[in-house]
Amino acid sequence: MTSTTVVASKAPELRRSVTPWGSFSWGYSDVGADIFVGLGLVLAAAAGASNVAFLFAGLVYVCIGLAYTELAATYPVAGGGQYFVMRGLGDFFGFVAGWAVLLDFTIDVTLFAWTCVDYLSQLIPVFVGSTHPWTHFTVVLLLIVGLAVLNIIGVRESTNFNGFVSGLDVVSELSILMLGFLFAFSPHILVSNMTHHWPTTYQLMLGISYAIISFVGLESISQAAEETQRPASIIPRTSIALILTILIFALAYSHLALGMRPWHPIFDDHGHPMQFWQIFPNNGDNQGKAVALLAAQIPYFGAIAALYVPILGAVLLLISSNSGVFGSSRIAYAMSSNDLLPSIFKRVHPKFRTPVISIVTFCSIAVLELVFAALPSLFPGARQTYAWLFRGESGLDFLADLYAFGAATSYSFVFLALIALRMKDPFSPRKFKIPLNVPMTYRDEKIEFPIVGVVGFIGIFAILIFTLLTHPIGRVAGPLWVVTGIVLYFFYRRHRGLPVFKSQTHDWRTAQVQILKHAGELELMDECIANNKAADERRAAREAVTK
Amino acid sequence: MTTEPVSAIHVSVAGVIAALLVGASVCSVLYWMLHPPASFVQKIAKDAQSTLGKLVDKIMVVFSQEIDSAHMMALAAKLARGERSELLAIYVIEVPYSLPPDADMEIEQRAALDALGAAETLANNTNVTIRTETVKARSTTAAVLEIAKREQVHLMILGSFREGKYTGAPLGHTIEEIAADAKCDVLIGVEGKHGTTLGEEPPGSLSGGA
Repeated sequence: MTSTTVVASKAPELRRSVTPWGSFSWGYSDVGADIFVGLGLVLAAAAGASNVAFLFAGLVYVCIGLAYTELAATYPVAGGGQYFVMRGLGDFFGFVAGWAVLLDFTIDVTLFAWTCVDYLSQLIPVFVGSTHPWTHFTVVLLLIVGLAVLNIIGVRESTNFNGFVSGLDVVSELSILMLGFLFAFSPHILVSNMTHHWPTTYQLMLGISYAIISFVGLESISQAAEETQRPASIIPRTSIALILTILIFALAYSHLALGMRPWHPIFDDHGHPMQFWQIFPNNGDNQGKAVALLAAQIPYFGAIAALYVPILGAVLLLISSNSGVFGSSRIAYAMSSNDLLPSIFKRVHPKFRTPVISIVTFCSIAVLELVFAALPSLFPGARQTYAWLFRGESGLDFLADLYAFGAATSYSFVFLALIALRMKDPFSPRKFKIPLNVPMTYRDEKIEFPIVGVVGFIGIFAILIFTLLTHPIGRVAGPLWVVTGIVLYFFYRRHRGLPVFKSQTHDWRTAQVQILKHAGELELMDECIANNKAADERRAAREAVTK
Repeated sequence: MTTEPVSAIHVSVAGVIAALLVGASVCSVLYWMLHPPASFVQKIAKDAQSTLGKLVDKIMVVFSQEIDSAHMMALAAKLARGERSELLAIYVIEVPYSLPPDADMEIEQRAALDALGAAETLANNTNVTIRTETVKARSTTAAVLEIAKREQVHLMILGSFREGKYTGAPLGHTIEEIAADAKCDVLIGVEGKHGTTLGEEPPGSLSGGA
């Protein structure tokens, strides 16, 4: 008699369908939209040194990008920065980093919906925030609620749509920049602006802290790691391409804006001629639609750009806002799976098959942030209170403050995680490794200490300090968000009988092999197993010598 | 703030250089990103795809009294359409030595007309051009191999209905001889119970059942 072998059915896994362009467009639809928000804010704050502010933040961003690239290629799982920090620094810091990212995602929803309406106001004057604050507020609110509903019922924009919009935007921005430099750029004006309108140190710090928000969202590529084909090979390429593309755009925009000879000469209320960048200080309406205003000032091309750039910008910003909605629910799901948040955030609606509680919770927080940001423009009484408490920061400033705070905090932890993982986990194969490393020995194992990680940490920590120094709301609301999260985390972990400041036991070795197997990186999986085996043999040999 | 329309194009050397730098750098970065090196499995897949063109450049479907390829004809037609291959269907009538080579074999000739007619209809429905040929031969194997050589066939498709299940040649002697001696690739389709999954099989039919 022969026996029949019954093979257990395998749980369905997420299909890896995201191609290199798909992976790039996931990141681009998030990071690419940032310049539409950041340009005006930086020009308003850093004036003649806007390009320097972008350069400083851009260099830090390159370090951040390289760190994310190495970590996402080594650990291609959903969760992104939160997962890396949890793995490198433990559960508590993993929670703090994830909580900061959650702040960024909720702000992302509001900030990008807000600026989406600002861009539309270029074509629809009734959407202008300063003259029609209630209309502006209502439209932003409707956009947030609409995105929440769409995500609850499970309607998602497809990767193809993301890819199409990203492609269109890359072509459009290239056209704006190339035609702008060709027909409206004067190096003399650039030098003159940098010489005569150099900001104070305080303004420059403010500008740098705003410039970093032009580079937030690289996280999205890591978020999609589990759906990307050959993530360990593709993610480094798409990340580096995204880093360079965004950096080139940001530096090019800031140089063009400072050296621009506007197609329509601009005069202030007293009839004095103004430089292009001078339309941004103390003008929240203009700050929210800087790219559209710049494109409109290119000779001849500006006539067409004035019509389509606001629409393209609005679409891209809306996609970015949507990425905040599903990004927050994804992070909450990942954190909940690791016992960092209550399991309620993992619950899926029986009919819609979407994490309704997560979506409603974080969209409600986004609405609260919108109310707080819009209060000064809606009620004159609130404006006076804000002027007294927060130096009269506008709604856009408030959102940008928190965005910068959340990004700087989570990125600081990611650098620490990078350094910790290089020391604690030298066995996981790294398909991409940040250059400039110092070989050393740690716990009898040879490791490579990342110099770029230290430089990047110093850079992003400096930006975090700039944010706390120069943003009156950010320095209050940001830390308050973190403290509130820690209190909730404390009660949750106590309730579950889990350690608060220590970590649960994780079998990272087995997990890593499974991650690589699941990712289809079979050669790396073999390397990982071989590295682990060799490490065990070395350890056994050392112990034998000791005995 | 007020504006007045003045159209002025200002071209500077620095502006031209900056424009070219921005355009070239972004384009080259995106080009580099979209052309990652192929992985080991991708190389295998690419090799397999490139050999497919050579593999199915000319397809021959064989019919005879022992070779029933009717159920493989649809597959052959679709393959030929997808790969733009040349399709040939032959029917070999084996004439026994007890008859002269040009003996009139009505039943076999009628079967050949039916088989090749069905093949032509299927090919027409699939928008594929097909050539058909009826051949009389003393040995089916020798005839098939000779035609395959003459026509420089790349893929031969044979259908088996497992007549030889109890003869020591499960797929049929002729099919096994052709497959063993052919100089080209041979695809043998063994007719099964279409649409039946293992889960629907009666318990006793599973191999290894008690």
